Amino acid sequence: MTLALTGHAVARGIAIGQAHLAERNELEIGEYRIQAGDVDKEVRRFHAAMSAARNQLQQLSLRLSQNAGTTASEIIQVHIQMLADSSIREASERRIREDHFNAEWALQLQLEKILAEFRHMDDEYIRSRGEDVVQVVRLVQSKLSEGDGEKEFSNIPDRLADTLVIASELTPGELAALHERGVAGVITEHGSPYSHAAILASSLGIPAVFGVRMAQSLLREGETLVLDGRLGVVYANPDPAFLDHYHEIQRITSGFRKSLEGARKLPAHSLDGEVILLQANAEREDELALAAGLEADGIGLYRTEFLYLRGEAPDEETQLAEYTRAIKVLGGKLLTIRTMDLGADKTSAALDFSLLRSSMNPALGLRAVRLCLRDTELFKTQLRAILRASSCGLVQCLIPMLTSVGEIMMVKHLLQEARQELVQQGLAFDPAMKLGGMIEVPAAALAMEDLGAHLDFMSVGTNDLLQYALAADRVDEQVAHLYDPLHPGVVRLLQYIFNAGSTLRIPVTVCGEMAGDRRYTRLLLALGLRCFSMHPDRLLEVKLVVRETHIPRAAAALAQWLNLGSQRQDVPLLRLLDQSQA
Amino acid sequence: MLQREVTIGNKLGLHARAASKLVNCATSFAADVWLRRGEREINGKSIMGVLTLAAGKGTVLGIRTQGEDEQQALQELIQLFEDRFGEDE
Repeated sequence: MTLALTGHAVARGIAIGQAHLAERNELEIGEYRIQAGDVDKEVRRFHAAMSAARNQLQQLSLRLSQNAGTTASEIIQVHIQMLADSSIREASERRIREDHFNAEWALQLQLEKILAEFRHMDDEYIRSRGEDVVQVVRLVQSKLSEGDGEKEFSNIPDRLADTLVIASELTPGELAALHERGVAGVITEHGSPYSHAAILASSLGIPAVFGVRMAQSLLREGETLVLDGRLGVVYANPDPAFLDHYHEIQRITSGFRKSLEGARKLPAHSLDGEVILLQANAEREDELALAAGLEADGIGLYRTEFLYLRGEAPDEETQLAEYTRAIKVLGGKLLTIRTMDLGADKTSAALDFSLLRSSMNPALGLRAVRLCLRDTELFKTQLRAILRASSCGLVQCLIPMLTSVGEIMMVKHLLQEARQELVQQGLAFDPAMKLGGMIEVPAAALAMEDLGAHLDFMSVGTNDLLQYALAADRVDEQVAHLYDPLHPGVVRLLQYIFNAGSTLRIPVTVCGEMAGDRRYTRLLLALGLRCFSMHPDRLLEVKLVVRETHIPRAAAALAQWLNLGSQRQDVPLLRLLDQSQA
Repeated sequence: MLQREVTIGNKLGLHARAASKLVNCATSFAADVWLRRGEREINGKSIMGVLTLAAGKGTVLGIRTQGEDEQQALQELIQLFEDRFGEDE
């Protein structure tokens, strides 16, 4: 009979294999007093164990940074800092010197003191950091007890392929060691979903379920297990049909990964033959390179805030160097440079704080182009750098947060001044560089004809547009549920934007998160969008949906939904769109 | 001695990895670094101290630096908050 055990779903994925129960060497923490004459010797023993623990963590951090990325090694850095914290290092030493406790017990007393403080915290995430402190102190104590704490587990084989390890709990270091031996999945009895071991499992891609009560007593060595990391369930001794079902899911998942890889070379054409442009949002060099490698149709959004967040406002040459570097990485593909979008929640020391701090409601205040038009010197420096970059490659300029035609006129005036200066100085630029505007303000969206008459292209920033249209901050837990991209008002607003773009014959892109979320791809196509810009990680997923969509059928289903009137809320739009394809 | 107030802008607040970056930055200076939330003030060079501030997004913290390089220490710490500890959101 199949036994199902539940716990916290901490890392997605399905693992199928044999159970292995990890036996931990239980540490016995002795308590005794040191002779006055031996105190120095005990302190030396303490420091030797501290350095050994530190070395082990540093080596682990180094290995992880090479093989598993920064998140994993940053987690170990936290442990290294905890080890060096005066509440452990100095306070324990003081207990040895003043109270003549042995090193293990001195550490134990400090640990209990720190844990008592953590237990009082209201925040569950912070409370679970107590687990990290326990793990760090245990590591030092194990170094003290045997002089060699390498073997935290006594019975782990060198190769763990097709093996699921069941432990009472796991430290990030132990988890990393299991990963290096090829473990298929992990199950623990204790450990919160906020633990660092949980974060690490997820970043290493190890399917994991934590907090499965009594797992070590209920599961038997060598029996077959199925671990569903998405649901947080472990099945023991599954019957053959059940096992087949999970093998099938595993096969489909890996098949999906393969078809993603296969989509790289395929064109982004819909089933009815429409050519869809898939662009990338990128700023870092690795993102630009990834976008180029995935054959994106250029960069639809290159953010420049990072230049201003380094401190001093970047001068023209610094900016030009960054832009030309991006152009080189792209190897001839289009680069859409967005002028700086600071203000609201993104501030910089490079800006005049007296302008920023005055607003009670920063999201509706002086930000993005509004700020640029106040500090025109800062803005013109950027416009000059972008113009000069346009002589080195295919570059277009995008202005964030436009509200009125007046703003476009002011931007155009500054661009004209910049061009004249460059001509006088004999500096090269592309006189035909295109100018686009971001549609984030709902009133600007409904005035597409007015704004569009003065622009070469438009890009819809759905994150802000939706936030303003729904009057809900998606980061604010209290109102995040109101942030709904499927709200009929939002759907109509987007439809208006894309229709107006097509009537005006002006290209419209979406560069907000909706563009990279494949759940909404079919809806956006049905609404009339033909150009998407998204994080390069999402390009292939979205391309697969495009290739499986017949746009006129989806558009008919959407029209039907929009005409439902008061019954609309009973009909799930996304399902209707999917059904239209069958 | 120098003082400034900062608002935590990254989504996750001063979680462990952000706290770790803060402590790294603080310990790279000779100056003493203190962080204050409400009545409570802690040593900015102690990871345990920083964690027990339990400071989420939107929390206002006072930073105080004192010592030879207090100016630079304050500047770089503020920069860290402004960069949202290198996180996207």
